[in-house]
Amino acid sequence: MIQAALATGLVGLSAWAVATFPRSVVVFLLFQGSLLFVYLARIPRWLRTALLALALLVLMPVLGHFNGYYLEIATQVGIFVALALGLNIVVGLAGLLDLGYVAFFAVGAYSWAIFGSPHANIMFGGGFPLAPGWFYAFLLVGLLLGAGTGVLLGLPVLRLRGDYLAIVTLGFGEVIRVLANNLDKPVNITNGPKGITPISRPPVPFDVPYAEAFYFLVLLIVVVVVLVNRRLEDSHVGRAWEAIREDELAAQAMGVPLVRSKLLAFGCGASFAGIMGVVFSAKQVFINPESFTFLESIGVLAMVILGGMGSIPGAVVGATVVTVLNLQVLKGFSLWLNELKNAGVVVLGYNLADLPTQLEPAKYERMIFGAILVLMMIFRPQGILPVRRRARELGTP
Amino acid sequence: MSALFEARGITKRFGGLTALHAVDFALDAGIASIIGPNGAGKTTLFNVFTGLYRAEEGGVTFRGQPLLGLRPDQITALGICRTFQNIRLFGNMTAIENVLVGMHARVRLGLRDVLARGPRFHASEGALMARASALLERVGLLPQANEVARNLPYGDQRRLELARALASEPALLLLDEPTAGMTRGEAGALMGLLRALVADLGLAVVLIEHNMRVVMGVSDRVTVLDHGEKISEGAPHEVQADPRVIEAYLGTRHSGAPRRRLAER
Amino acid sequence: MDLPLLVGIFPQVFLDGLILGFMYALIALGYTMVYGVLEFINFAHSEIFIVGAFVGVEILLGMRAAGWLEALPWPLVLLLILVAGMAGAGLLAVSVERIAYRPLRGAPRLIPLISAIGVSFFLQDLIRLVESIWRNAFNLVYPTMDALNHRFELTETIDVSVKSLVVIAAALAMLWALHALVNRTKIGTAIRAVAEDQAAASLMGIDVNRIISLTFLIGGAMGGAAGVLFGVQYGLINPYSGFIPGLKAFTAAVLGGIGNIPGAMIGGVVLGLLEAFAASYLSLLTGGAFGAEYKDIFAFSVLILILIFRPKGLLGEIVRERA
Repeated sequence: MIQAALATGLVGLSAWAVATFPRSVVVFLLFQGSLLFVYLARIPRWLRTALLALALLVLMPVLGHFNGYYLEIATQVGIFVALALGLNIVVGLAGLLDLGYVAFFAVGAYSWAIFGSPHANIMFGGGFPLAPGWFYAFLLVGLLLGAGTGVLLGLPVLRLRGDYLAIVTLGFGEVIRVLANNLDKPVNITNGPKGITPISRPPVPFDVPYAEAFYFLVLLIVVVVVLVNRRLEDSHVGRAWEAIREDELAAQAMGVPLVRSKLLAFGCGASFAGIMGVVFSAKQVFINPESFTFLESIGVLAMVILGGMGSIPGAVVGATVVTVLNLQVLKGFSLWLNELKNAGVVVLGYNLADLPTQLEPAKYERMIFGAILVLMMIFRPQGILPVRRRARELGTP
Repeated sequence: MSALFEARGITKRFGGLTALHAVDFALDAGIASIIGPNGAGKTTLFNVFTGLYRAEEGGVTFRGQPLLGLRPDQITALGICRTFQNIRLFGNMTAIENVLVGMHARVRLGLRDVLARGPRFHASEGALMARASALLERVGLLPQANEVARNLPYGDQRRLELARALASEPALLLLDEPTAGMTRGEAGALMGLLRALVADLGLAVVLIEHNMRVVMGVSDRVTVLDHGEKISEGAPHEVQADPRVIEAYLGTRHSGAPRRRLAER
Repeated sequence: MDLPLLVGIFPQVFLDGLILGFMYALIALGYTMVYGVLEFINFAHSEIFIVGAFVGVEILLGMRAAGWLEALPWPLVLLLILVAGMAGAGLLAVSVERIAYRPLRGAPRLIPLISAIGVSFFLQDLIRLVESIWRNAFNLVYPTMDALNHRFELTETIDVSVKSLVVIAAALAMLWALHALVNRTKIGTAIRAVAEDQAAASLMGIDVNRIISLTFLIGGAMGGAAGVLFGVQYGLINPYSGFIPGLKAFTAAVLGGIGNIPGAMIGGVVLGLLEAFAASYLSLLTGGAFGAEYKDIFAFSVLILILIFRPKGLLGEIVRERA
C-alpha cells in the first residue's frame, strides 16, 4: 500500500520536476529511476502496468513535446534497449559471446539507407528512393536480413569453443565495417566513409511530429521484443539455451541439438538488431560506417553485463544507464568543465583555464565501458538486476 | 531377432593409445553392469554409445538402427540417455528446470507455437510440468523442485541426474557410477529405485560401477573390461569366479603388488 | 597486367612482410604463452603492446628535449628504449593479471574474457587521458634518428633502411632468447609444467601464482619490445593503434597453433607475409577494384578459415587437457 502510493507519487513528482527544470540531467535521471522503482515495487500488477503506460505513453511524449532533447534521449535509449535485449539472448541466455553484434544492426541500417535514398539509383539506374511507405516493409526486410546474416555467420563458427567464437564474431564485425567503408568501388554500394543521405522517413499518420512518431515506433518495437524475449525464455527453447550455457556437453546428451539451438539464438538476436537498424537509419536520415564500430558492440555488451546476463529487466536498465551515462553524464560533465575553464575558475590553486585542450571528458566512452565490464565481472558478475529464478507452479503428478 | 542394443567390435584410439579394442556388448532387457579397473575404458564405451566419441571401428545398433555417426542429441531422441560420472547438472537452473531440459527431445512445438503461446503451447507445457513433477516425486525430490541444482546436496544431485535422464523417456538408460560417493544406505535405496524403474517402465539399464556390493546385488549380467578389452562376461557369480577377472583386479602372482581389491573399496 | 612490375616489387614486399611478420610474432608470443598456461585470451595484450610503444616515445621525446638524442650513440638509445618498453609493458601485464584476472580464476571461461575486454578498453582511454594531460596530445610521433633512416639501395627498385634491419635483428634476438628461456632454463621448465597440469605442478613444489605472473611478465615484455619496434618502424602511434595489430597477432597465434611458442613465431611471419602481399598485389591483380584497404579483411578471413578447417593451427595447439 505504501509502495503503491510511493510509486505513484514518485512518477508524478519526477514528471513535474522534468517539466519544471528542462535542463537538469539529474532530474531526468530521477524520472527514469522512478520507472524502475515502479517496475520493482511490490504493487498490484494493474497499477504497475497503468503507471508504466501512463509514464511511457503519455508523460514522456508530452514532456518531450516541450523538450525535444529528452525525447531524443528516450528514443535512443529505446533503440539500445532492443539491441541489448537481442544480445541478451545470445550472450545471457545461450552463453555465446558475440563481439560483432553491431554488424547485424549495420546490415539492417544499410538495407533501408540504400533503397530509401537516391543512392540505389547508382546501382539500378533510377526509380529510387522507394516511396516512404516502403519503410514499414523494410522493417521486415531488416529483420530477415539480420536473421539471415546471423545464421550465415553462425553456421560455420558455432562449433568453435566459446573464446574463439568471441574473436571470430569480432573479426566478422570488423569485416562488415571495412566493407561498409570500402564498398564504394568497384560498384558503389555503401558510398564508403562519406555515408548515405538523405534517407527517407516513413509517412506518419495523424500528423504526429516525427520525433514523437519515432519515439512511439521504437517503444512499440521494444514492447514486441520484450514480449518475444519472455516467451522464448519461458519455453523449451529458452531452457535449451540456458542448458547450453550451463553445460554444452550435458545439454547435447539430454537431447538438445546444439547447432540448431545456437543458430536460433544467433538468428533471434540478430533479427532484433536488423529491425532496429532500419529504424535507426530512417531516424538519423544519414548513416556512415562510424555508427557501426567495435565500440558500439562493446557498448551493447556492457549494457547486458551491467544489467545482468540473461535478465530482461536487467537488459532494459543496463541499456538505459549506459546510454544516459554516455549521452548525458559524460557530455554534461564535459560542458560543465568547459564552462569552468572559460570562467577561469581556480581549484586548489590550479587555474582550470590551464587544463589541456585535448582533455574532452565526453570522449571517454571506452573508459566507462571498460570499467563497467571489469568491475562487474569482479564484484557482481550476475549484474545489478540478476535473473530471479522463478518458482514454478508444479504440475499435479 | 536382433537385440535391443548391440555393439560389435568397438575400437577407439586416442593418438597412439587404444582405449577400446574390439569390444562387443549386447543387451535386451534388465540390468547389465560394466566393471573394470580405472582406465579400463568403461566411460569411453559410454561415450561411444551416446555419440560423444566416434569409434574408429565397429558398429552400434539400437532397435536394429545403426547409431554410429549420429549426434548425441539424435541418439537421445531415439531412446538412449545417460548420466555422468562427475555430475553434470545445469547448475544455475532449478531441479525441475533440469528435468524439463531432459524432455527437450519429446517437445513437439515449433517456434510459432512458442511465440503465439496458444492452447497448443499451454497444453504441452502443462503436460511437461506434470510429468516433470511426477519424475521428481519418483526420485524423492519434489519438495526441492524449485531449488537451484548446484545448491542441492550431493546425493540429491545424483538422483536429480537420474530424473533428468529419465525425462527423455529412454528405453535404454546408461548410468555412469550412480552410487559414487554415496553411503551404503543411499546406494541401496537408489538400487531399489532402479529395480522398480526397470520393472515399471520396462527399462533396460547399463551400469558402470565400482561398488561390487551394488554390482553383484542388482545386475542380471556383468561385463568386465580391462585395458580396453572385454575379458569376461556372464552372470555375476560366474564373473566373480573367472580367474582372468581375479587376475585383472589382483594382478598376477608374478607382477608383485596387488592392483585393486575385488571387494568394495 | 604488368608482369615485370609484379616481379620487380616482390623482394620489397617480401621484406616488408617479414618485418610486419616479426612484429606479429613478438606480440603473438604474449597471447600464446598466456593461453598455454591459463587457456584464456588476454584481450588486453594489444594495449600492453601499445604501452610499450608509448614508454619508448616518451623516453625519446624526453631525451630529445634534453638534447641527449643527438649526443648518445643510436644503438645505446635503441637498447635503452627497448629495455624500458619491455619493463613498462611487462609490469603492466603483471598488474593487470593481478587486479583483473586472478580474482576470476576458476570462474566460467567467458567471465575473465569479458574482464579482459574491459581492461583493453579501459587502458586505451587511460593512455589517452594520461597523454592528454601530460602532452596535450595523444597522437605521438617517434623522433627520428638519422642513422636509422639511412637506406641502402640494393637494386634500382629495392632498398633497405637501417631501421628495418635493426627491427629484424632485434626481433630475431628476442625470439631466440625466449626460446632458450623456455626450453633450457628451470623457469622455462616450470612454465611448461604449469601449462601441462597446474595441480600436479603445485604438488611438485612450483608456486603456480608466481609462474603465472612470470608468464604475463615475459609475454608482456615481448609485447612491449614489439611496441617499441612498431614505433621505430612506423613512426606514428596513438592509444588505439594497438588494437588491430593485437587482433592480427592473435590470429597469428591461432594460425601457428595456440599455446605453441614456435608456432606463434611461424604464424606471425606467415601472416605478415600474406598481409604484405595482399596489400601490394590485391590492387594490381584486380585492376584497382580492391585495394590495400582489404588487407584487414584478408587477415580476418585467414583467422575464420583456420578456425573452421584447422582449429589446431599449423603446428598444433598445446593446451591443457580438461576432463
